[in-house]
Amino acid sequence: MSGILNLSPNLLLSRRQFIAAGAAGSLVLGFRLPLAASAAQANGVLNAFVAIDPSGTITVQSPFVEMGQGIYTMMSMLVAEELGADMRSMRTVQAPPGAAYMIVREGERFTGGDESTRSAYEPLRRAGAVARHMLVQAAAGRLNVQPDALTTRGGYVVHKASGKRIAFGDLVADAAGLDVPAEVQLKSPAEFQVLRKTQARLDIPAKTDGSAVFGVDELPDNVAIAVVRQAPVFGGTVKRMRPESVTGRRGVIAVEEVPNGVAVIADNYWRAMKALNALDVEFAPGPAPDFTSAKHEELLRGKLDARGATAEEVGDLDGAFAGADRTLEMDYVIPFAAHTTMEPMTCTALVTDDRCVVWTPNQGVDFIVYAATNVTGLPAEAVEVHTPFLGGAFGRRFMLDFPTQAVTLANRHKGRPIKLIWSREEDTRHDFYRPMLAARQRAALDKEGKLVGWHSRIAGMGPYTQVFPDEVEAHGWDFSVMQGMLELPYRLPNRRMEYVHVQSPAPIGFWRTTGYGPTCYFKESALDEIAHAVGRDPYEYRRELLADAKRECAVLDKAAELAGWRKKPFRKNGTHRAHGIALHNAFDSINAQVAEVSISDDGTVRVHKVYCAMDCGLALNPLNVIMQMESGIAFGLSATLHEEVVMRDGRAVPGNFHEYPILRPGEMPDVEVAIIDSGAKIGGAGEIATCPVAPAVCNAVFALTGKRIRTLPIGTRVAEMT
Amino acid sequence: MIELTINGKRHELDVEDDMPLLWLLRDELKLMGTKFGCGMGICGACTIQVDGEPVRSCVMPVSAARGKTIITIEGLGGSVGNGKLHPVQQAWIDEQVPQCGYCQPGHIMAAAALLESNPDPSDEEIRKEVTNLCRCGTYLRIFAAIRRAAGRDGGGSGS
Repeated sequence: MSGILNLSPNLLLSRRQFIAAGAAGSLVLGFRLPLAASAAQANGVLNAFVAIDPSGTITVQSPFVEMGQGIYTMMSMLVAEELGADMRSMRTVQAPPGAAYMIVREGERFTGGDESTRSAYEPLRRAGAVARHMLVQAAAGRLNVQPDALTTRGGYVVHKASGKRIAFGDLVADAAGLDVPAEVQLKSPAEFQVLRKTQARLDIPAKTDGSAVFGVDELPDNVAIAVVRQAPVFGGTVKRMRPESVTGRRGVIAVEEVPNGVAVIADNYWRAMKALNALDVEFAPGPAPDFTSAKHEELLRGKLDARGATAEEVGDLDGAFAGADRTLEMDYVIPFAAHTTMEPMTCTALVTDDRCVVWTPNQGVDFIVYAATNVTGLPAEAVEVHTPFLGGAFGRRFMLDFPTQAVTLANRHKGRPIKLIWSREEDTRHDFYRPMLAARQRAALDKEGKLVGWHSRIAGMGPYTQVFPDEVEAHGWDFSVMQGMLELPYRLPNRRMEYVHVQSPAPIGFWRTTGYGPTCYFKESALDEIAHAVGRDPYEYRRELLADAKRECAVLDKAAELAGWRKKPFRKNGTHRAHGIALHNAFDSINAQVAEVSISDDGTVRVHKVYCAMDCGLALNPLNVIMQMESGIAFGLSATLHEEVVMRDGRAVPGNFHEYPILRPGEMPDVEVAIIDSGAKIGGAGEIATCPVAPAVCNAVFALTGKRIRTLPIGTRVAEMT
Repeated sequence: MIELTINGKRHELDVEDDMPLLWLLRDELKLMGTKFGCGMGICGACTIQVDGEPVRSCVMPVSAARGKTIITIEGLGGSVGNGKLHPVQQAWIDEQVPQCGYCQPGHIMAAAALLESNPDPSDEEIRKEVTNLCRCGTYLRIFAAIRRAAGRDGGGSGS
């Protein structure tokens, strides 16, 4: 089987390989220079992250990709803060592969899981402080004063007493030859001048005049365009292909098999696509040709009756249920969902006898190196990766299926760059999907309606099982499914969280929030049901459960306060509306939302406004945090209202946007955000706001209609229920 | 041979009549600012202006544009690469609209055309007239930038 499922074990380096690769190099957090000392000096390179040219432009090497989350701006902010630089002199570029940039966790490098700012906060500030120290040393020598008589400000080293100053650009040649200090003092958050203040995004000007280069825009000399048609049934193969059915057409260069399908290479996308559409090709089905999402849902629901692997257990759950005054049982299902990045999957590759150059949107350059070495047999040092702006990623661009295809083609056409561009239909039908999951929530209540037992059982599989199957099996349960249901802030003295493994015939991937979004829907819907069942206000009921969780309680209160929380439906602007509330912890942050919802006469759910309270410890670029809240809410609402990849006959059915609708502009609710600057450990902001949307909206629908949405998306369900 | 005026420059091109404008712009002329998103005229990432009208270039064959004046994102502020921004582009910066940025050239071209035909759209009209898709969900800032370009307070929380 040469299908895509077969590629999966190689889709990512395993965690073990990662750590080994990191440990082989120096992990001194970026102070191993990528260049020889003399070359570094000539190029104004002060350390692996910071270089300053003679004109004073400061270039920051980012270990992370810019996919819309604003990380390039953040990398420059972190350096500028400690360096004493003007943000207008900063620019951020993508760092090359290398151990110096493996700063995530124990020496990994990828962009996702809200790791970037959390991982970079210390090392990038340190890189700025080190650079500052070296510039100050150089200036002290030049001015013949003690270093502590100097400070840095706005791109200059300034002599405090006289006001005399020297521009960074004039000092950098001297500074680059100096020793790197062993220790530097970093500022405290109270001293920040750049961070914790809104900074305009550095990437935005280029994204308004058409000059920003995305993956599809790469134009190496003589580039040819490749398009693919992949085996429609997951894991299927090419049974028969007659290239001669389209050879000789204008612009067509080659017609060949690639991993998981066939490709046409031409001088123009449209000519390639026209030939592909006319190509005589037949595919053989994969191992699950009868797979349907409807049957898979039944299978998952059935698995909820049996005991699963215990992911967390506290207290005496069985005792709590045995002694309960009443119990509730609530099942929920979320469907397969696609990423549908606006820029479809794309990768450009050039292979020569001794080198491979890859230009591609990715969520980890080292993964691309791995894929390229795998295909070409070249050593890692012979692979060069260029990362343009990503036209969205949301977890999709971790996967190595499309780079593997592009490098395979380039490897056969040595010397000619090949740019692979998937059609929208291929992109939707050959995704690594957010998994379908089924969950059963059970609650034990005492006579006063107090929650004395909480039982959660989730059936399905997560992206960890797709990518690291052996590790997950050894561990016993899939963290990427259970995350968000563990170590809950609510007071739940007797609780058990279980995982039931069910293999998915459709490929599974990381989809913005990974497990946190689904678990938020299960948990916060169930809490709402419980509160209503015991006749309590769902906001007040949560508050009581948060007696031991001050930060969470403050965030919940803030969302309720913004909304002017209403327990009962109300009239506003001629519509009958209700509030729904939800809270979640994810990526070290806390988010609560109140959705204000009405239902039109035809049963369409309309979300007017979302009130959002966010505690990410320190909001380092406040406006960008707000932008991520808006984005996360749009993404979450899109999935809540519309998104579902129906599977039938072993394949994904929807292709283009008319079959897989995403949130339309007119459906976007107003969003009001309050940031709570708690000063706690820094949390992520890119994903969490996607989580509470579904339960907040569904809880509001219940307040309006008395109908509980236990299966997403909402789609036309409300109309069908009433 | 087909004759087109693109961003003020005349081109004579030997391409098939049924080639969509998008692929003529991108793969023949290497004007990469206009993006491919769906190929069915749904998402609007490929929006350009043809004789001032917003057009989804992935579904307009070059034959339908014969002799017409085409403006792409590269030419919106005047001629290509002159560094001048159209007021809509400036509003996009002021309201900090783009996130991944991929769909934004199409949004900007559509918004500029909207304001040509309706210089002072109401909030409701803006919500109705903006039909391009954005997966990052920058819609609120797009609305605010259009208000701002129309000379009103954007109302977003721009920089």
